[in-house]
Amino acid sequence: MSTLLSRWRSIPRWAQLAILVAIVVFVPPVINILERQTGFGLLTQINRALIYVCLALGLNIVVGFAGLLDLGYAAFFAIGAYTFGILTWPSLRLEYSFFIAIWICVLVAALFGMFIGAPTLRLRGDYLAIVTLAFGEIIPPLVRNLDHITIRFGDWVLVESFNLTNGPLGMKPLGRPNFGLIESVAGLPPGQLDPGVNPTFWYFIIVILVLIVLSASRRFEDSRIGRAWRAIREDETAARFMGVNTVRVKLLAFAFGASFSGLAGAVFASMLGAIFPELFRFQVSIFLLIIVILSGAGSVWGVLIGGLLISTFDGVLLAQIMPSIFPNSDVQSLRWVFFGVGLIAVMLFRPQGLFGHLGRRRHTPLTIEEAIHGDAA
Amino acid sequence: MDPQLEAFLRQVLVGLSIGCYLALIALGYTMVYGIIELINFAHGDLFTFGFFISLTIWGLFDVPMPLQGAWILALPLIAVVVVVLTGGLNVVIERVAYRPLRGSSKLAPLITAVGVSFMLEAIYAYIWGANQINYPRFIPTTNFLSDFSRIIRFTPRDLLLFGVTIPLMIGLTLFIDRTRLGKAMRAAAQDREAAAMMGINVNRIIAITFFIGGGLAGIAGMVYGLYTGSGRFIMGFEFGLFAFTAAVLGGIGNIRGAVLGAFIIGMVQAMSDLYIGGEWSRVIIFSLLILMLVFRPSGILGSTQSVEKV
Amino acid sequence: MLAKRVVVFVLLALLVLGVSAQDGQTVKIYTSWPLTGGTQAIGQSMLNAVNLALEHYLADNEGMGPAGLTVQVVPLDDASPTSGAWDGQIEAENAQRCVNDPECLVYMGTYNSGAAAVSMPITNAAGVVQVSPANSYAGLTRSCPTCAEDEPGIYRPSGEVNYFRVAATDDVQGPAAASWAVCLGFENVYVLDDTQAYGAGIANEFVNHAEEIGLNVVGRSSLETADSDPRSALTAALRDGADLIYGGFVLDSGGPRVVQAMYDEGLFDEGIKFMGPDGILSAALIEQVGGAEILANNTYFTFPGLLPSLLSNEQGVRFYTDYVEQFGEEPDPYSVYAYASMQVVLNALGSASETGTVDRASVLEAVRSTADFEGIIGTFGFDENGDNTAAAFYGYDFESDNFSNPTAITPTMHETCE
Repeated sequence: MSTLLSRWRSIPRWAQLAILVAIVVFVPPVINILERQTGFGLLTQINRALIYVCLALGLNIVVGFAGLLDLGYAAFFAIGAYTFGILTWPSLRLEYSFFIAIWICVLVAALFGMFIGAPTLRLRGDYLAIVTLAFGEIIPPLVRNLDHITIRFGDWVLVESFNLTNGPLGMKPLGRPNFGLIESVAGLPPGQLDPGVNPTFWYFIIVILVLIVLSASRRFEDSRIGRAWRAIREDETAARFMGVNTVRVKLLAFAFGASFSGLAGAVFASMLGAIFPELFRFQVSIFLLIIVILSGAGSVWGVLIGGLLISTFDGVLLAQIMPSIFPNSDVQSLRWVFFGVGLIAVMLFRPQGLFGHLGRRRHTPLTIEEAIHGDAA
Repeated sequence: MDPQLEAFLRQVLVGLSIGCYLALIALGYTMVYGIIELINFAHGDLFTFGFFISLTIWGLFDVPMPLQGAWILALPLIAVVVVVLTGGLNVVIERVAYRPLRGSSKLAPLITAVGVSFMLEAIYAYIWGANQINYPRFIPTTNFLSDFSRIIRFTPRDLLLFGVTIPLMIGLTLFIDRTRLGKAMRAAAQDREAAAMMGINVNRIIAITFFIGGGLAGIAGMVYGLYTGSGRFIMGFEFGLFAFTAAVLGGIGNIRGAVLGAFIIGMVQAMSDLYIGGEWSRVIIFSLLILMLVFRPSGILGSTQSVEKV
Repeated sequence: MLAKRVVVFVLLALLVLGVSAQDGQTVKIYTSWPLTGGTQAIGQSMLNAVNLALEHYLADNEGMGPAGLTVQVVPLDDASPTSGAWDGQIEAENAQRCVNDPECLVYMGTYNSGAAAVSMPITNAAGVVQVSPANSYAGLTRSCPTCAEDEPGIYRPSGEVNYFRVAATDDVQGPAAASWAVCLGFENVYVLDDTQAYGAGIANEFVNHAEEIGLNVVGRSSLETADSDPRSALTAALRDGADLIYGGFVLDSGGPRVVQAMYDEGLFDEGIKFMGPDGILSAALIEQVGGAEILANNTYFTFPGLLPSLLSNEQGVRFYTDYVEQFGEEPDPYSVYAYASMQVVLNALGSASETGTVDRASVLEAVRSTADFEGIIGTFGFDENGDNTAAAFYGYDFESDNFSNPTAITPTMHETCE
């Protein structure tokens, strides 16, 4: 692995880029060939895995970079998805375009990130984890109950039985990207470029999403704010004494982490075309945390590869390959056992995570100057 | 009597009973956290184990329903077996999944705990089925207060629940406060290294803590089965979550705090179920938790310093 | 290293699959509903019934599939460990797998209506016929007062109907239950649900209709999970003087616990009864509440058709006896619908072959034109929306040891009560 890595680094940058682009572009046709052989729904699996990667990269900012344990990250995923739902659900008549709505979702999620971050700034360590857990537990029942909002002040009725989220039935259909402008310029019939549920279309949209999130993550990692995050992760008290504005730095971690999740949530909602309160349970938060920690918290490339591997381990190997190798057995009902054993085994043998070393350039501890300048901006 | 008042008093009893079994789970949570600062996500699944294993033990015999004569005496014996089995399971889990990771980052054992939880739940579903399981009606439900009210109830089941859980809570508090072993546990919780230097075998203390915590959860599972008459392979997750919330609410690491937190949660649940609607109870409980932590980060009984105590 | 091993393993697995794939004319039927998680028991029973239907068909035709086709059932699970229940994303993947597999001509599923909302547009766009044994949310096939305004058009991007269901819908069942309650002489109902799409949905239908026909709803509450304590709701029902508790539940969302608690808390002794929808009517219910004596004379149920054990027609008796013999347990009520769905599909494959080629279009057309089909649930067909034309509801009470006295019920029966 490490020789491969060093060889990769010796290639010029433009060639690296070209290889990556080639891989990205050739994935769908290759998968389609494989698909004919296996029928595993591989491309949709990859799309789902990539969505999880985006989410995990957001969580990685909070947990990996800043060292703040977040047990309710699915809440921001839900906020992104439901904001998108509210903006594009036809019954509410807002019907924003996909390309506008997703950025509003990012903003709303970031605001919620700060909203939940702000009161927890005094808290340390696990208490913070517990507040985020509570927040994650509040959001699904809340969106489920917001289908008959009535606000009254005495006789004056502000809202009567207003249906914001469609409760347990879930919101559907939701807006999909519309390429009307390109169609009219290119002289195509309207709707020709609509992605619908076509997985190849969504693959490219999600790859763009991953690229945005990935490059933002990489930028953060080496920036002043990234160094400040690392400083509070290593030793918060020391960081504060050295002049790091811990309040602001933590708030930013929450805001950026949540905004990734909001973006992923919006794209997820649009791809699925429907959202339900159950999609954002505590188990999702835990699954994302598993990805981040198992891949090696703090390493952007590690989370990317780990997220893909862990999602496909469950979605392809455990759910599909195992049952087809051992038909008529109990493999299917023992799937969670394998997943659990896998988690324990990986952690016991590599407690620092699978790919923690990947792409981490600095192995030396943070210097005082770095920590101070981390918050100089 | 006014039905409104009767309903209120009934809910007080309901809240107390929920508090009882939550408290037993919360105690294990808080003790484990106090010593090794691990949020043990698998803890709730030991509660489920207590439920299922006691069910299997009862199934070995031809037990009359409701319990009669000598079988009433068998109840504590079976409880002891359940405590030994669940406590033992918890010790094995600690040895295999948590102890090897003690030196590494705090997040690693958190993930193995999740792994253990996934594994246990799947095994339960495999062995005992994924459906809701009926727990035989060994304890009758005749209402002692039937002459007095048609809504308020106090039954032999309540007697059993309160009769088992409250002495256990008091006993545990005394054990921690008064015995040498309890003192050693407190010392290990305060500063593990210092305790080791004073000649305390910290590994043994931790194993004992897991044994007691697991045993309490196991007996809670058994009492829960006898009390409510049903359970599911996945229920430990839900109860673990609320027990954990209780432990935090009371001040995590604090024994009395865990009990107090459990009773508060039970009461809030019962009251909001009746007066606001069950669909809001979770929102209310967790909002309360957030407010609590924001205004008093160490919990109700937690010390204001960040030093944790058992 | 680990990554490398995984890759090798995956490749090996692909190789094994590639070798074992048979040539010859094979038709694949993908089924998709939860095979793990909370509704595992129901899902497994439905899958058993599908396989049994195929077995019976082959036995009746000297081992030949319809028109000599080799029919293969590919069971998919739409539940995931990350959510512990059905998962929209997995359901989408499952539908996509069928669409991508040229041999997949029929997509059978789902169990949860929410999951159908995700997979329907996918199968619809690809022109694959989808047959659901269990979905009961009305909006999937037609517009209704409580549905979203764009339903069901949003599930049909191609504009064509490709989705057919054997089960009947909640917007009839809930109101029919309310009317029946009036006829049974109940006056004050307390309504409880599980906050899920099915349970809360049917409870809403019940409440809306009850208000219209003058049945008094004294209170309403929800259990958040199957492990929530149902006693608080019972306190409220006692306080508010209810004589009936209507519970919108499925088996694993807490319905059995409500019945149990009503017994243990003395509500049944007070003469307060329980009524529940098809989601909780199952042989498993008897075991889960701890015995028939708890249900007897205390409970009422509604169900879209006859129960496996009550089926008196020849096919029904055969299904029931063979199922019990082969799997050693009572079939879940929905397994009858899974069996019926498979019968419809096999029949359609046969009639599609008469038109020439057996492909997605001809099979879709054949399912669409199903009429007067003699199946396990009696004679039925599909209307232009894809609904079962013969869907009718029955009310059951519980005598001594089983669900009994099926009575035909309708939303207007309170007018005459006959």
